[in-house]
Amino acid sequence: MVGYSMELALRGLRRYPKTTALAVLTVAIGLAASMTTLALLHMLSADPLPGRSQHLYLAWVDAVEAKSQTFTSLDGVTTYDYKRLKMPDAEALLAAHKGTLQTVVADLDARVEGSNGQHFNEQLLATGSDFISMFGVALRDGRSWTVAEDAARAPIAVIDSGLAQKLFGTPRAVGRVVQIKNHAFRVIGVSQPYSPQPHFYGLNAWAFGGDSQESIFVPYGAAVDAGLASSSTDGCDDATDKGKRFIAVDPLHCEWLAYWVQLGTPQDVAAYRSFLDHYAQQQTSLGSYGKKPQSQLLSVQQWLTLQNVIPDNVRLNVWLAGSFLVLCMVNVAGLLAAKFMRRSVEVGIRRALGASRRAVMLHHLFEAGMVCFLGGALAWPLTLLGLALLRMQDQGFTDLARLDVAMFAALFALALGVGALVGLLPSWRVSMVQPGLQVKSA
Amino acid sequence: MRIILAPLRRHSLMPVLVLLQVALACAILCNVFFLAWQRLQPMLAPSGVDADNLILVDNLAAQGRTYTAAESVAGEDALRAVPGVRAASSGFGLPMVSIASIMVNLQGPTHTAVGVNAFFGKGLVQTLGLQMVTGRDFLPSEYRPWGLGASNGSNSDWDTGVTQPVIITQALADKLFGAAPAVGQLLADPDPADKSDHGYQVVGVVKHLLRNEIGLATDGRADYTVLLARNIGNTAMLSYAVRVDPAMRDIALQGVKNAIKRQFGGANAGGAQARVQTYNEKRNDAFKSSRAALWLLLGMVLAIVIVTLVGIMGLTGFWVQRRTRQIGIRRALGARRAQILCYFFAENLLIVSVGILLGMALAYAGNILLMHYYELPHLPWMYLPVGAAVMLVIGQLGVLAPALRATEVPPVVATRSV
Repeated sequence: MVGYSMELALRGLRRYPKTTALAVLTVAIGLAASMTTLALLHMLSADPLPGRSQHLYLAWVDAVEAKSQTFTSLDGVTTYDYKRLKMPDAEALLAAHKGTLQTVVADLDARVEGSNGQHFNEQLLATGSDFISMFGVALRDGRSWTVAEDAARAPIAVIDSGLAQKLFGTPRAVGRVVQIKNHAFRVIGVSQPYSPQPHFYGLNAWAFGGDSQESIFVPYGAAVDAGLASSSTDGCDDATDKGKRFIAVDPLHCEWLAYWVQLGTPQDVAAYRSFLDHYAQQQTSLGSYGKKPQSQLLSVQQWLTLQNVIPDNVRLNVWLAGSFLVLCMVNVAGLLAAKFMRRSVEVGIRRALGASRRAVMLHHLFEAGMVCFLGGALAWPLTLLGLALLRMQDQGFTDLARLDVAMFAALFALALGVGALVGLLPSWRVSMVQPGLQVKSA
Repeated sequence: MRIILAPLRRHSLMPVLVLLQVALACAILCNVFFLAWQRLQPMLAPSGVDADNLILVDNLAAQGRTYTAAESVAGEDALRAVPGVRAASSGFGLPMVSIASIMVNLQGPTHTAVGVNAFFGKGLVQTLGLQMVTGRDFLPSEYRPWGLGASNGSNSDWDTGVTQPVIITQALADKLFGAAPAVGQLLADPDPADKSDHGYQVVGVVKHLLRNEIGLATDGRADYTVLLARNIGNTAMLSYAVRVDPAMRDIALQGVKNAIKRQFGGANAGGAQARVQTYNEKRNDAFKSSRAALWLLLGMVLAIVIVTLVGIMGLTGFWVQRRTRQIGIRRALGARRAQILCYFFAENLLIVSVGILLGMALAYAGNILLMHYYELPHLPWMYLPVGAAVMLVIGQLGVLAPALRATEVPPVVATRSV
């Protein structure tokens, strides 16, 4: 019976081809709009480091010797807070070594120069010895640095193959010397280009960016020694020199290092949390600034949610496109109802000849499903077109707008789901046609 | 009326589907119009500045040190010396420069409190080409030095220890003081924690000045901007506003670029990253994402209108066809063509109206949902009749072709069986 219903449905599609085409087109537009917005949301909310990110946590302790700085204007604008630490506190947490792996992270702008005298403005990551293994940076050549080299503030660097090519004309750059702000750093490793999306460990620098990525990794102590300084901070001690609160902040008295720790089990997380609480309670000097001890340990997902990384617009567009799809569905349900009811005479005859309600309904459901399947097929190129249009917008994150396999499958699942929903009402209505009446009037 | 309602009751599927379509389309349209208007408002707001003749210099940040007050003034002088330049001010928080903006909370005598953007800089009224409505510009003696992240002496902190003069916009004057004259009035900082604040006294009112947080320039807040009597002293960051002679715009722009390079081109003077752009270029960049969003919303409106129109046409067409016989009978009984036409228009009007009512409720529900997730104000009720009017037009347009076809039905159809 299924085969017969299918055949009838195929025949049905070919009658009134204009109505069929209209229905298919409407479904396709609705699906394409929804899939375009959903695909972008899907890419933006993807896990930045699959397999690793669930063990990474951002740790923060309030240790700034100043009044609480958070300012919210009457327009609802709040000052930035990226939960960073001052260098002494970050080093104290590093030295405690309570996590499986731990590192500090800060994005800095640096002018680097190779052997041929050409210089480039590059993004530099001042970080700790654990970063490379903890965040899964793939090394092509050489090695990362050690805890001892971190402590010695050794002027060494890991650079990515792109920068190696730019500076030395070859990716085999281990052992060469790169000048950072006129300080010599020895290249000890060459990595593959590294740019997880979103850029969760340095949201103060950028959140999404196809072009921006750190091309050079150095020990944070060596970066400070070379005169590099963060251009932004979450807060400074009152004692900080006024000239070192902006643009190039005081590394000792201003918060500029994000602290990430890798924790394997829920027990480890709980233990680390109490360690942080304890550390916060030791900051007794903060009482005189009217502050209570504060500490936070945030998972990558919590951190991305807290920072509202996905632009509001993207979600808003999903809502709009979704409601548009519902409108299209009602529309197609109407078109199909009209199409089906046109043949009520024929259905009446079929019913009179013994076709069951179920058979009639199945036939029409199949027909509706086919319309939506065709709509889905047409929506595929339309979605690709929509995503291409999005990529042309160049809003920093839009170059991520692509259709991956999961979303491609979702497109067809959605199309068939829509088909079943849309076909239900018209198919039911046409299956209710009385056998006798129609035959009589014919 | 009975004649309209009876067939609606008997075959309820078609009218219900039309009604649902209208309701959904109306709800989406109201919200889309609202979102588009939120984006459009800042773009339509008058800037208040002499836009065509204004050049802005920003992103000047010294490397590893701060600029001195003398360097800030030397920059001004160098810019003034450029042929074609009429005025130049070292400023902070300038129009369309949102890399760093200053936000101030102000409270008037009626306890109305507003958050505003503040512009700093000596002689900004002149340099930006603002139109003074009442009061006066700041006196040279009233300026106090200020700089980002650098000390300028004891009387130059955020709170200067005395009441500071302030120039506000007409919109702020209306909001804070109502019909009362603004000049001479006092304004306070509403933050109860900030007891050291000595407040502001209004000395002048300018007609318009668009704030530099343009995302907030909606719902009548576009002109929420004040000028404070601050000149730029020692600072970690410099920016300049330059007004040029309309006849020498291009030469002056090149001259300004050269002057900035000469003045700040040194190894640690930050001139390499400086951005020198006309006001219009900056404005164009600032509204780039708004424009993209507006195109998207426009596409959305078109798609909704087309889909709804086609849907109503298709459904009504079918429904008219099914009633060919009844139409024939009515024609045979003496109904005129115009009456048949009116009948279908009236029927559509009835269905669409009910749909609109439902759609308005849906629109409101949708807005509340969006407000819950995003920073959006309430949907003003004005959007509901706008959406309703669009839907009524779409409905009547959609029924036009089928209704005309219905009038072509000859009375003789009544005597045949279909």
